[in-house]
Amino acid sequence: MSGESPEVSRSGILRRPRTEAARPPASDERELLARVAAGDLQAFERLYRLYQPRLSRFLTTLLRRPQLIEEVLDDTMMVVWQTADRFRGSSKLSTWIFAIAYRKAHKARLRWPDPVEDPEQDGRISEDPAPDDELHHQKLHDSLMRAMDQLSADHRAVVDLTYFHGLGYREIAEIVDCPVDTVKTRMFHARRRLKQAIGGSLADWL
Amino acid sequence: MPVDPIPSAMSAHDPAEELLPWYATGQLDEFDRARVEKHLYSCEACRAQVAFERRLMSEFRSTSPQVESGWARLKARIDPPRAAPAAKPPIFAELWAILSRPAVATLAAAQLALIVVGGGALYSLTRPDYHVLGSAPVPADANAIVMFQPETKEADVQAALNAAGASIVGGPTDAGAYVLHVDPAKRSAALRRLQADSAIRLAQPIDGTVP
Repeated sequence: MSGESPEVSRSGILRRPRTEAARPPASDERELLARVAAGDLQAFERLYRLYQPRLSRFLTTLLRRPQLIEEVLDDTMMVVWQTADRFRGSSKLSTWIFAIAYRKAHKARLRWPDPVEDPEQDGRISEDPAPDDELHHQKLHDSLMRAMDQLSADHRAVVDLTYFHGLGYREIAEIVDCPVDTVKTRMFHARRRLKQAIGGSLADWL
Repeated sequence: MPVDPIPSAMSAHDPAEELLPWYATGQLDEFDRARVEKHLYSCEACRAQVAFERRLMSEFRSTSPQVESGWARLKARIDPPRAAPAAKPPIFAELWAILSRPAVATLAAAQLALIVVGGGALYSLTRPDYHVLGSAPVPADANAIVMFQPETKEADVQAALNAAGASIVGGPTDAGAYVLHVDPAKRSAALRRLQADSAIRLAQPIDGTVP
């Protein structure tokens, strides 16, 4: 297979994966953080609005108590506000902020362990009327989300950072503060568990 | 619910197998990618696994928790709270109410919004999100609305918003729309920029004025 010709599958399954999308220029974010470090509240609001959606998603994956999500998100951004002057730029700004959030979430989970799951959640589907194919897809989606719920927080974090946030394994290793091989192993086991959870419906997914 | 132990005996049959998720998301460097592609050439199971990875990625990106800005709450921890901003014009609240209706009404809402917004792109909305949201309050500082193309990567979303100087202050609605805040003085330019972005399906002002 040639690097110039990434279409490797006769079935059309494999395609050249998307190259890393353009993120906001690091220099822009650095400039914003420098203003935050100088106490510029307007710059901090801008930074907050840049990161709040991403952090909400990440923390929703990690924490099962909704009230903790807001608390941890605010605590994370307060650390950013208070320690922006200490950011030295050895990693990406996003890595630094996500790592703070991960540590804060970990501490919150020690204080407030995950609630016991609702035993009736299994098999529960939306009562909204929907065409068969939508209903079928929703069942698959629900089974995937339930499988996610059964993973440990560490595994959920790696899955979310990979699939939703589109981060590479090295950046994830920095965020969750573990060796890259551990990230790969967690991801390997997590997706195996997800695949098992989808079970016989796998063919419908492909 | 009891959690099965994660099977520790199972391990990857090739180092490349562990890299497949990041191959699917395009996050491998050249060395890793070459290694994976070399393995894929001779491993049918891993080729199928890549398809599964892409499906998972798409599924994870199809839902997102409702974003409600907590800026006022956070700001109160830094500064004393200030007076609440003035109420928005009625048409704003009306549109927001339409766009934040529960999923069961999504198609009707999309058609109605088509009339209100005057943008053809909403019509192409065919599949509602499944999580049901209540009618959300109007974000006080919102002045534009945007819809992204399906499966748009989060980084692309950020890049598009950054380029336009826009921030998400609400959404997603059940129509899949987000409401934005942009500098009112630069809104027309910001909307033109968003409308020209390939990741964006629709970008409109939401106080009824034409950009």
